[in-house]
Amino acid sequence: MENLVIEATKQTPKVSFDADNHVLEFQGESYPENMVEFADPIFSWLEEYLEQLGEQPVTVNIELIYFNSSSSKMLLDLFDKLEEEVENNGKNITVNWIYHAENDSAEEYGEEFQEDLESLTFNLVQKNE
Amino acid sequence: MLANLHELKTALDQQGIFFCFGGPMSQELMVGIGYTLRSKMKLDEADSSTIVKVFSMFVEQSQNIIHYSAEKTPLDGEQTELSSGIVGVGYDTGHYYVSCGNMVNNEAVASLCEQLFKLQSMNKDELKRYYKEQRRKESRENSKGAGLGFIELARKSAKPIEFDVQKINEQFSFFSLKTVL
Repeated sequence: MENLVIEATKQTPKVSFDADNHVLEFQGESYPENMVEFADPIFSWLEEYLEQLGEQPVTVNIELIYFNSSSSKMLLDLFDKLEEEVENNGKNITVNWIYHAENDSAEEYGEEFQEDLESLTFNLVQKNE
Repeated sequence: MLANLHELKTALDQQGIFFCFGGPMSQELMVGIGYTLRSKMKLDEADSSTIVKVFSMFVEQSQNIIHYSAEKTPLDGEQTELSSGIVGVGYDTGHYYVSCGNMVNNEAVASLCEQLFKLQSMNKDELKRYYKEQRRKESRENSKGAGLGFIELARKSAKPIEFDVQKINEQFSFFSLKTVL
């Protein structure tokens, strides 16, 4: 299937979903006015991707410097969806939550997502520059 | 007007407000202001963790105005409309703070106050639990994104959210709040 690439803006992250290499990435900042408008194509792509996905391991890299409260809801929906795939369909998915050493807000949010996830592998990855 | 403008600037300076916008707020404007706010704080040598937190308060409060202000242009507009309010960022006795205000319909006041009193009474752990609970409850399709916004603000704020409501007339009240980092 086709890859999904959405270029970053000041208020939305770069989205780069590579269906051939099974690497899905978000990078940047997220605080759009209309979260649904931004998230809908991403979730539609994901549905289709997960349906045709076999046993290949998938890596999801999330590196967000800042995201607002509605983006936080979108991320939770994303993780719930991935966890469901792991639990019910035996998919092999790993999420890497990447944060900069000095960004304690991003670290804290990562920890909180991690606390609420059971079967989805969710790694906190500190990045030093 | 010209003399008043200096008075206004002096009044803001006295409160440590180094940035203030009042009028119709839009996402585009917020993005631009936010960018400048971060540059200014960087030049003031604020650390990057502080910058992200102040920026976060600024975004939640501005988006609150955009989504919930009752002062709209045009007033009866159905599609393209602008929401007005005021938002300011200040630095006072070693702490950054963000404050905003906008008109709300009088019918909305009671539940708004109830929501904020509830947040004021919670400690950090309770706020965290409540945040997670609400985040799970909220539907991505129906929400404009707020609901969680106030809890987010309360969690970022070093002190409980301060807020105030002043009745303006039979239809509107002016609602304002302040969060301190």
